[in-house]
Amino acid sequence: MAGLRILLVEDNSELAALIMSGLRSSGYLADHMASAADGRHALRLGQYSLLVLDLGLPDADGLTLLRELRQANDAVPVLILTARSGVSDRVEGLRAGADDYLAKPFAFEELLARIEALQRRPRQLADTMLSIANLKLDVPNRQAFVDQEPITLNAREISVLELLLRRKGRVVPKQVFEDQLFGLSGDGSPNAVEVYIYRLRKQLVDHGATVKVHTVRGVGYLISEANA
Amino acid sequence: MIRRIGRNSIVARIVWLHILVVGSVSIFMPVALYFLLASETNEIQRQFITSQVNQIGKYLTRDDNGAWHLDLPEGIQDIYSEAYGRYRYAILNAQGKVLFSSLADKSAVFPDGVLTDETQYLERRDSGLTVQGARIPETIDGEPFWVEVGEDLSHRDVIIDDILGRFLQRVAWVTLPLLLLLLGLDIAIVRTVFRPVIRASEEAEAIRPSQPGVRLPSAELPGEIRPLVLAINNALERLEAGYRQQHEFAADAAHELRTPLAILRTRIDTMADREVSRQLRSDVERMSHTVNQLLEMAESEIFVVGPEEQADLHAVAVDVVSFLAPLIFGEGRSVSVSGVDGPVPVNGNVEMIARALRNLVENAAKYSPEGSEIEVIVDQAGALRITDEGAGISDDDKQLLFQRFWRRDRRRGTNSVGLGLAIVQRIMAAHGGEIEVHRRSPRGTEFVLRFRPFAPDAPEDSVGAV
Repeated sequence: MAGLRILLVEDNSELAALIMSGLRSSGYLADHMASAADGRHALRLGQYSLLVLDLGLPDADGLTLLRELRQANDAVPVLILTARSGVSDRVEGLRAGADDYLAKPFAFEELLARIEALQRRPRQLADTMLSIANLKLDVPNRQAFVDQEPITLNAREISVLELLLRRKGRVVPKQVFEDQLFGLSGDGSPNAVEVYIYRLRKQLVDHGATVKVHTVRGVGYLISEANA
Repeated sequence: MIRRIGRNSIVARIVWLHILVVGSVSIFMPVALYFLLASETNEIQRQFITSQVNQIGKYLTRDDNGAWHLDLPEGIQDIYSEAYGRYRYAILNAQGKVLFSSLADKSAVFPDGVLTDETQYLERRDSGLTVQGARIPETIDGEPFWVEVGEDLSHRDVIIDDILGRFLQRVAWVTLPLLLLLLGLDIAIVRTVFRPVIRASEEAEAIRPSQPGVRLPSAELPGEIRPLVLAINNALERLEAGYRQQHEFAADAAHELRTPLAILRTRIDTMADREVSRQLRSDVERMSHTVNQLLEMAESEIFVVGPEEQADLHAVAVDVVSFLAPLIFGEGRSVSVSGVDGPVPVNGNVEMIARALRNLVENAAKYSPEGSEIEVIVDQAGALRITDEGAGISDDDKQLLFQRFWRRDRRRGTNSVGLGLAIVQRIMAAHGGEIEVHRRSPRGTEFVLRFRPFAPDAPEDSVGAV
């Protein structure tokens, strides 16, 4: 399937070789080009499902290549790799039509995760079982487990838990809870979310889950493993 | 736009000098004219007297007996009449004897004095009388006479008096407005000449670091000032070049440092030995952090905020706290955003403000005890307050706080090169903002970052709008 091929345009051969081997060992088909001209050529010949583009190319700025692509109505997802980290560069990249942006140095896992996201592979739906520490959530069946033992949570508490687990390790904005729990009707009182969080927290503690639901006051909520 | 003209401006100097000149001219010119006019009047007077003498001489005749007669026509007699009293005459012979006189006692007009061969202009003052006139030798029929004509100055012609008396006042009324008009014209001329200079200085004032390409207009400038402006433009040229170089250096350094780190990082990530990989990764992360801080420092050195850049302090606070919360909560501390729960627009760059705030929150977390809270308070007045419950900062340390590479303790393992606060300070300077450090009671530190409210056009409209 030509549709799952990735094109890497990166002038640093060492880094390119490492990324290529990483991509291959993760099951991707990938080609590497070292200049904007070669990259342009490859894009014309082959069909790629994703372009990983370095900005600092020897013959042209990566952004130039990106703009050409977009002007030619090529909608291939583009992930920009760059040593520049300023937000103006990022904004410029995204404005030129990039789909995502990764600053060097990056964790290879991060690169993989972003490639995966850009491939539009429905990763979240695939995760029917969300987990953290000794807590598990069977999403389709709306059932939570602590140490494999099922625990009783009402529908709203399950929804709250699902939101937290889908973004584990990140802060879930309060607004997201309000939108998910009460829809656009906005009939939940300002404290409603806090109430559900409080109940969920109590249930989890009561059932011995080794997790913590943190309130990031003024921002949102965060689930993490409880420190030993 | 007319700016306040300082005492040192060329226009002010010209005005002051001109006022001095106007002042002295308006005093000296009437005085000079007065003397000129007075001497002219005198001259006319003398001419008149001389002609009178000649006239009287004409009417002096000798009859056949050798006796002298003076037959003045009636019109002339009237002038010399006692009733009129203004003019008087007398004719003296060679012996100084008065032959004829208009005066009742037949005396001479100027009784004392020596008869000479030349015209004498004389003045006589006695018993409240001032008589001015001339004694002129005349030779009639071969015999010498002296004809005296005098004018009683106390009856002097009123018109001439008036002219002289009011001359000063009149001249002053005419010359002063004329001179002031001249002054006004001069100011206008100087203004016109200096307009290009003023425009150039206005342009110079508008130059911001965000527009290093601007040059001052030199086309219309007077030749005396153009070299100065050209020299300034050349200096701007060199500054811009230096600025560019700095920019390129930061970008190049970023590339040169981050690409090898990316290679290293990727190599480590794809290593087979997980344990070694984990250790190396933490080394690489520390190195990356240091490199990032150095690059942030370099970037913040050359960073400028455009007047149109807008940042919402509340959004930045939520972003940064969201980003750092997992780490901070993971280490057993908590972090929160409080204060205004809505947009607080300021003039600033989102990325840079976030960078400053991130540095401060990271710092606060680093020096706070476990279980304590770090709070980011959004202030409606366009400020961010970052409070912690750490040990606080001593006054001695406050002095050193913003120096590069300063750290409260150089404990090993701290993932820091001590550039954080220097970066924050530099970012705040670029924003035209302020940074304050306070000790909190009973413990802890508060950093305050104050920004300028976002006000592109009408300052009072956009501030405080939520």
